[in-house]
Amino acid sequence: MTPDHLVALLCPPLHNPRRRRGGNMAPEKSATVPQFLRGAELVKQGAEARVYRTQFLGRPTIVKERFSKRYRHVALDEKLTRRRTVQEVRSILRCRRAGIPAPAVYFVDYTSHCIFLEEILRSSTVRDHIASTQQSASCTVQELDRDQDRELVQEQELEQLAQQVGQILAKMHDEDVIHGDLTTSNMLLRRSPEDRGSDLVLIDFGLSYISALPEDKGVDLYVLEKAFLSTHPHTEALFQKLLKSYSASSKKSSAVLKKLDEVRLRGRKRSMVG
Amino acid sequence: MNLTQELELFPDHTVTQMLFKEVKNAAELRQSAVDGRINGALINPTMLVNPFQVLVAANKAVHLQLIGKMKTRSLNSEIIFNLSPTNNISEAFKRFGTSDGDESVMLVVVHCKNESQLLEDIAAQVDGRQVPVEDVSWLSDLAKIRKLFKVAPQEETCGTLLDAVVCRMAIKDVM
Amino acid sequence: MTVVIGFEGSANKIGIGIIRDGEVLSNPRRTYITPPGQGFMPSDTARHHRAVILTVLKEALEQAGLKPADVDCVAYTKGPGMGAPLVTVALVARTVAQLWGKPLLGVNHCIGHIEMGRLITKANNPTVLYVSGGNTQVIAYSERRYRIFGETIDIAVGNCLDRFARVIKISNDPSPGYNIEQMAKKGSQYMELPYTVKGMDVSFSGILSYIEEAANKMLSSGQCTAEDLCFSLQETVFAMLVEITERAMAHCGSQEVLIVGGVGCNVRLQEMMGVMCDERGAKLFATDERFCIDNGAMIAQAGWEMFRSGQVTELEDSWITQRYRTDEVEVTWRD
Repeated sequence: MTPDHLVALLCPPLHNPRRRRGGNMAPEKSATVPQFLRGAELVKQGAEARVYRTQFLGRPTIVKERFSKRYRHVALDEKLTRRRTVQEVRSILRCRRAGIPAPAVYFVDYTSHCIFLEEILRSSTVRDHIASTQQSASCTVQELDRDQDRELVQEQELEQLAQQVGQILAKMHDEDVIHGDLTTSNMLLRRSPEDRGSDLVLIDFGLSYISALPEDKGVDLYVLEKAFLSTHPHTEALFQKLLKSYSASSKKSSAVLKKLDEVRLRGRKRSMVG
Repeated sequence: MNLTQELELFPDHTVTQMLFKEVKNAAELRQSAVDGRINGALINPTMLVNPFQVLVAANKAVHLQLIGKMKTRSLNSEIIFNLSPTNNISEAFKRFGTSDGDESVMLVVVHCKNESQLLEDIAAQVDGRQVPVEDVSWLSDLAKIRKLFKVAPQEETCGTLLDAVVCRMAIKDVM
Repeated sequence: MTVVIGFEGSANKIGIGIIRDGEVLSNPRRTYITPPGQGFMPSDTARHHRAVILTVLKEALEQAGLKPADVDCVAYTKGPGMGAPLVTVALVARTVAQLWGKPLLGVNHCIGHIEMGRLITKANNPTVLYVSGGNTQVIAYSERRYRIFGETIDIAVGNCLDRFARVIKISNDPSPGYNIEQMAKKGSQYMELPYTVKGMDVSFSGILSYIEEAANKMLSSGQCTAEDLCFSLQETVFAMLVEITERAMAHCGSQEVLIVGGVGCNVRLQEMMGVMCDERGAKLFATDERFCIDNGAMIAQAGWEMFRSGQVTELEDSWITQRYRTDEVEVTWRD
């Protein structure tokens, strides 16, 4: 039985006269997903993807839709978009297998380059969390002792967070997953249901790949370091805490951190002629 | 007792699941499905953690049907194939399809809205006791599922077994 | 009115330009061109600069119609760049400053590019893509610094293009990049090349070693033409540059892009960046080869801004440095 035949059988015109005949199904392609997304809530318009919030199979779901970039050669664009969609879901599964929290994948449409992911409820980005903690800390600088205590608590809280980030990245690198785009926006802090602590969830694996090379892991940390320090001013000490925790948690950290030093130096030593 | 969910992506398609216990005519049902007399997928419920698994499989099957990329010959067989973590079709049928001696059956029908008569007609062919679909979790053979899907304990520290299963189903074509 | 003369010679161009309150009065330049297959060596380049610098200086003054007495400040490139050519040019700048009794000002070469771009295009607060033979950076201004948001983690894009040109023996006259651009227009077949973006950073060494290895084989087997290779290389590396620029824009919430540096006058790069900007509702600013390519006026312009904000360089501090990061400079002339 052909698929068209089957659809016709399942939904005979008798039951639903508005239904198109099976023969008209083929050209429909996968415009269905983009069409569906028009009714969804757009949460973020990124450089290469739009992120929507919606219900899918009755569950709260995030849809990441990669769109084509017209400035790129068609062949390159198609290849990159497809590759990044595939890499993203592969790395997510690899992380989850190792017990590293990442959103579950519900559905992938490779023709419209859409990934349907579990929505991480009760969460905020690490970026927002650090920013708001820093802000409320600086507000209290000239206030009472009580507030200084609060500032101290907030500082400890951030240090604990940095430690958590270091641990999770160590675990990820030990699985040979290179994230490729580590920023504090690509990590979510998820509060547990009864508000007993919180855990980290990694997202946005579009530039990720698998590699065991310390060089690749070092560059991964270098990318994070730059993003971290440029997004959050005056956090050099906090980032050091993160690296310390990474170093304590990863089995292969010494080679990676050596590479990180090398990559940093490369930036400063590059000849820069011209 | 039926569990009905419209596929949001394909609003013309609705999925209804019906769970039966103490089934006495599994072999006959299976033959009917093969012959096309039952227009539904017959699934072994012990391999299901949750009805959501079936929805994910059905959604993917309808999607692949529309773009002409199904791996099997019919929508119903595609649903069964999609439940499996591997790309081996006969293995998928063996594990996730109904076998002749099965005492429980999950019957899955993809249909248009408001087709209660169609559903009743299909259900009438089952010689068994219908129970709420949610009861499927009582039938799940978790050990077997964990083994087949290769779910290690550490994975269940960061998510549910259902998530682990669904993820593998969704991604298997690129693994 | 403030008149600043700028001396630039950090690589294979020697240029002297004069700026009077935003007006380019003169900007003569010479380029040291090497035979196909060869790069420029520091000592040969310095020798070239030494041989022509006084002629260029005379041209600059004559074209501007000024006498040394009309000049308020002598700016020169402090770095980054090649040691020997930098020293040669700084020496001349120091000498004329003392002869004319004018203050000296050491200028960061990259800042020169940025300030010249801002002057010519009137871009207000752009995300800057600085692309040349030695630099590949995505820069945005914040809190008194030009901060580097993205950059190459190995070689510069211009270096990648130049070295590719050497592999397949493309002429260095007027520049390898220009010739690649012209050949690319005749290419049609897109050959897949490594594409490496890491966060807001890029890497070109993988593409270069791939193409160094494969280019001559692909050409001799007739798999593709040299034009196809030029085309594919440009499409690939420029797509990477546009991608990290867009990432930086999204990160900083910026709606303007300014392209500067020698590679920045490539029309295909400008075209691709333009498409990206269109899609984001952003505005693209670019300049042509007169100001994209290293020149004296850009050093004069950055010097003009610095001088007006009260900076001068004492004689004993007027050294040069081969490494001088864009973000080391405190920007005293912007809010």
